[in-house]
Amino acid sequence: MDLTIFLQLIISGLLIGFVFSLIAVGLSLIWGVMDILNFAHGEFLMLAMFTSFFLFAQLGIDPLYSLPIVVIVLYFIGAGTYRFVIKPLLGYTVLIALLATFGLSILIRNLVLFFVGPNYRVINESILAGKTFSIGGLYFSVPQSVAALLCILVTYGIYLLLTKSKFGRALRATSLDKDTAMLMGINTNRIFEITFGIGAACVGVAGGLLVNFYAVFPEVGLNFTVLAFVIVALGGFGNNGGAFLAGILVGLVTTMGGFFIGPEYKYTLVFLLYLVVITIRPKGLFGW
Amino acid sequence: MKKSLLVAIGLLLTLGFAPAGNAADEIEVALLYPLTGPLAEAGGRIKAVYDVAQDVINNSYDIQGIPFSKTQGIPNKGNAKIKLSYYDTQGSPEVGKAETERILQEGKAKLIIGAYQSSVSKPTSFVTERNKFPFLCAVSSSAALTERGMKYFFRVAPTDFHDARMFFNFLEDMREDGRDVKRIAMVYEKTEFGIHAMKEVKKRIDGSGGVYELVAEVPYEYKATDVNAEALKVKAAKPDVIIHASLFSEMMLFAKAYKNLGVTTNANLSFCGGYQNPKFASGLGDTVEGYMGSCTFAADFIEKKAQLKTINDMYKAKTGMNLDGISMEAFTTLFVAADAFNRAKDLSPEAVRDALAATELEIATMPGKGVKFAENGQNIWIASTMSQIKNTEYKVVWPEEWATTPVTWGLRP
Repeated sequence: MDLTIFLQLIISGLLIGFVFSLIAVGLSLIWGVMDILNFAHGEFLMLAMFTSFFLFAQLGIDPLYSLPIVVIVLYFIGAGTYRFVIKPLLGYTVLIALLATFGLSILIRNLVLFFVGPNYRVINESILAGKTFSIGGLYFSVPQSVAALLCILVTYGIYLLLTKSKFGRALRATSLDKDTAMLMGINTNRIFEITFGIGAACVGVAGGLLVNFYAVFPEVGLNFTVLAFVIVALGGFGNNGGAFLAGILVGLVTTMGGFFIGPEYKYTLVFLLYLVVITIRPKGLFGW
Repeated sequence: MKKSLLVAIGLLLTLGFAPAGNAADEIEVALLYPLTGPLAEAGGRIKAVYDVAQDVINNSYDIQGIPFSKTQGIPNKGNAKIKLSYYDTQGSPEVGKAETERILQEGKAKLIIGAYQSSVSKPTSFVTERNKFPFLCAVSSSAALTERGMKYFFRVAPTDFHDARMFFNFLEDMREDGRDVKRIAMVYEKTEFGIHAMKEVKKRIDGSGGVYELVAEVPYEYKATDVNAEALKVKAAKPDVIIHASLFSEMMLFAKAYKNLGVTTNANLSFCGGYQNPKFASGLGDTVEGYMGSCTFAADFIEKKAQLKTINDMYKAKTGMNLDGISMEAFTTLFVAADAFNRAKDLSPEAVRDALAATELEIATMPGKGVKFAENGQNIWIASTMSQIKNTEYKVVWPEEWATTPVTWGLRP
């Protein structure tokens, strides 16, 4: 087999893996702190893509420059979701909140369908879109490379936030024992709201970059949601570093498995891996 | 005062109990399409074109070569107007089946037209066949649909068979011109549409006596999130020609992946699907320059048939886009329905079915003479042409009879 193709497979697998990680990290953060699986995560991704697209189409702001705006918008969408959807349900079983996010996902998707329409929207002339560079016969997609770089930065940023800051300590304390954290004077509601906001902001970064190489349409989030759940479970629920590595692993499995075993089996391989891992290690690869 | 109050109440009651419309003056057609879900965009475009076709049939436009455009409604049925009722399949075979059952239970529609995907047309038409109710398929392309021995199923669009035959006639022409076309890679979604398209291609390669060689067979899952592995499989095979059976979202991913991964080839041909979505050409710019595909309508057809401009303008006013092959097939389909209603002895399912079977409709909307169904229900007066994307527009490049511009050979990232 041609060595160039083999190396290209690894590069492509890593690059798409970083994108998967970027989408999954926010989901993992929310789960880790709140024990809530946000089913509307894919729709948050879609909203981020639409925000980026409309800033480009209506105001001419390149997706790269509008990324901070998208992140802020998504932060408020996340925080708002907590305040108006999750918070009123906190006293009840977790299943209620889970179903609420599921309902929210359907609501968001159909509202976008109703107000924006089902059309595919494509950005093809941005700073990043369609750009590639080649080193020694190996091709690198510029938007995916930037996404990879930002994925590393975001994951590292979350790591620093959780381990080195006062807020991070409060967040971890809330995650470990909400009641005791409250007794220690931590405003746990505030912590939850910010966590939801940061989780959504992370997927905002992903959406703001994904718009450079993916069509924008109301159903786009669904394509990634299931993979994001698998990645979070594989990495170990709530373990952000685990989600980061699991995303890369899934990227490599889909690309290498798709090439060597058959493209039609690449998602089967991911789910097979998931089944094997949770059977052997129910807490996921990096869970505790 | 009291008297006028009584009269007013009497009038209100009369109006209240009157039927909402004069039902006898309308013939209802049920349209079964994906209006929400991942294919809502395609469903929306198709809905727009049916609305245009309904307008042309129900009102007087007098467009040359388009029957029923001068009259208003269906002449032999007391100028009854066509009424369209939309049913949403959500792109799902199960939902499509349930909606078909609902249409039949409601008992208002005289005919069902649908569905976008072959994988939905297949089970829904089983339901209508079982209930002896006519099903007119506009755009689903799997040739297998008309190979099931059904009596109530008719299809207007060309099939994978027609497209594959056209592709290989085209490649034969290119080969005779000394161009390399031997090594073929086939990329297809693993659905009814893709699998059947693959079979049609394989059949021709196997029967070519070594003139063509299948160097890569690349199936993939519908709703893919990335296609790097698939694109690299194609790249590793070094094909002269890539043939696609893909819908829009994945077709776009492939085009970008080919560019990102430096895939070079002489020609990229597409069965109907994502390639025909006008957003593919206008949205992806240079990335898809030179891509080719089957086509029953391109805007430059208007250069050959000027009367189509009126229809294109009406459609463009609704969608902001030019008509494409799929939209024109759908447009034509409603005229097939109108023609069948016009000739049917009554509007019972059996009579409409018999009228459809006897269709010989000459209509100047697409290449070919119009619509005549073979015994299996397939339109045998249809023809397909090859279009190519040039400067974000679809141009017909083959056969010579329809071509408005020559073929550009070779794709480089």
